[in-house]
Amino acid sequence: MPYKENVAIVLCLHRLRNIRMNMAEAIGKVQRWHILEPDDKTLITGGKVYIAPADYHLLVEREGYFSLSVDEPVNFSRPSIDVLLESIVQARWARAGAALLSGANCDGALGMLKMHQAGYFTAVQLPTDAEIPTMPEAALALFKPTCQFSANELVQVCLRALSLYT
Amino acid sequence: MLFEALPEISEKELEHFFQIMLTKYGEDFRGYAPASLKRRLGTVLKRYGLPNMQTLNQRLLTQPEYYERFISEITVSTTELFRDPSAWVALKNQLVPLFASFPQVHIWHVGCSTGEEVLSVAILLQEMGLYDRTQIYATDIDRSALEQAQKATYPLRHRELYEKNLKAVLPNVPFSKYAWEEQGNLVFSPSLLRGVRFLRHNVVTESTFGKFEIILCRNLLIYLTPSLQDQVVTKLIRALQAGGIFMIGTKESLFWCQAAQQLIPLNEVERIYQKKP
Ligand SMILES: C[S@@+](CC[C@H](N)C(=O)[O-])C[C@H]1O[C@@H](n2cnc3c(N)ncnc32)[C@H](O)[C@@H]1O
Repeated sequence: MPYKENVAIVLCLHRLRNIRMNMAEAIGKVQRWHILEPDDKTLITGGKVYIAPADYHLLVEREGYFSLSVDEPVNFSRPSIDVLLESIVQARWARAGAALLSGANCDGALGMLKMHQAGYFTAVQLPTDAEIPTMPEAALALFKPTCQFSANELVQVCLRALSLYT
Repeated sequence: MLFEALPEISEKELEHFFQIMLTKYGEDFRGYAPASLKRRLGTVLKRYGLPNMQTLNQRLLTQPEYYERFISEITVSTTELFRDPSAWVALKNQLVPLFASFPQVHIWHVGCSTGEEVLSVAILLQEMGLYDRTQIYATDIDRSALEQAQKATYPLRHRELYEKNLKAVLPNVPFSKYAWEEQGNLVFSPSLLRGVRFLRHNVVTESTFGKFEIILCRNLLIYLTPSLQDQVVTKLIRALQAGGIFMIGTKESLFWCQAAQQLIPLNEVERIYQKKP
């Protein structure tokens, strides 16, 4: 993904709890993108890739910063993709889009539906292309996203989302 | 198997809720970070089959007996014994060097929830030989969490995790020294609580009581907006003795807080600070 100084990317991955692998530090910087695990109340700024910390839900606030929560897992997941996406809808951000990829449970489907209903750009990986199709299938059972894609088209999908807002 | 969407809550309904809490119960939720507060409220609506926030507001207005249970449900009580083991190892390493010579150590555990972290501190102090010189105050706004904390009794399913965490912090201490199975529950030794006083206290609205050598406030600040975090932390630092320890959650930070200038990091990664002498 080419560097964009006015774009923030948020990644919500299901990972094992209690392994305090600091993924962000492991990755550091890629093509000028600064990759980090946000702390609670970190301001969301462009040119960054934020990775949801293990064992916390990651939410965004209207004022443009993150909040963390240890609320119980949703769909057996903490961080939960639904929680993140619902918070974006609640915050009524003017410009946002979401892409849902391979995964082993239905987390994310409901959040994607809400993004879709609120008029945001939504993209879902083709189940046939996904390593584990459960997650994209659950989303596609609920609504028809803006587009479907295979993993090697992810960058184009992101650029397409951005083009809607510029 | 999809989970039903949570009901939407409008700004107006939320405003009304704040007013009811403030005027009827003297509780101030205005400075809680909106994203998770709304989520929590939505969960409560769903659990009780209430169609919208208006009905919940009505219930809070007319049925005060519902209030304590409500508080228990909108607060997030998730906790565990030695959550983030490396943070507790870091604390353990500071305790003896800093406090071995103190005749008395006063500890305030803010937002202690169901008490697992109080037990964590108690076990550390016991193993460091400091317990009998300490007085621990453990506070929370959730009465039912405090009741459970006083019983030191937990579902047996937590045993594996708690045992693993204890081993990571104190490798030579057998779990069975402090906890055992009783009637299908995991029960901690009551003697761990002999120096602990549990009190219902709202750290946002109430004033502090006394001075402390150690204040722990983990995973409570995340529920507050930056400006309320600032106020609460300022208040806590004021209640801390010079040279005292302040410990927050490992993903919490003090960068919004002016008063944090009075602190020096003892371990920045584990978020353990010391008040400047
Ligand atoms: C997630 S728990 C943290 C438990 C424990 N410290 C830990 O980190 O594992 C947060 C606790 O803060 C309490 N709390 C929230 N707001 C509070 C307030 N204004 N005053 C006192 N306690 C509060 C909640 O009731 C809850 O028990």
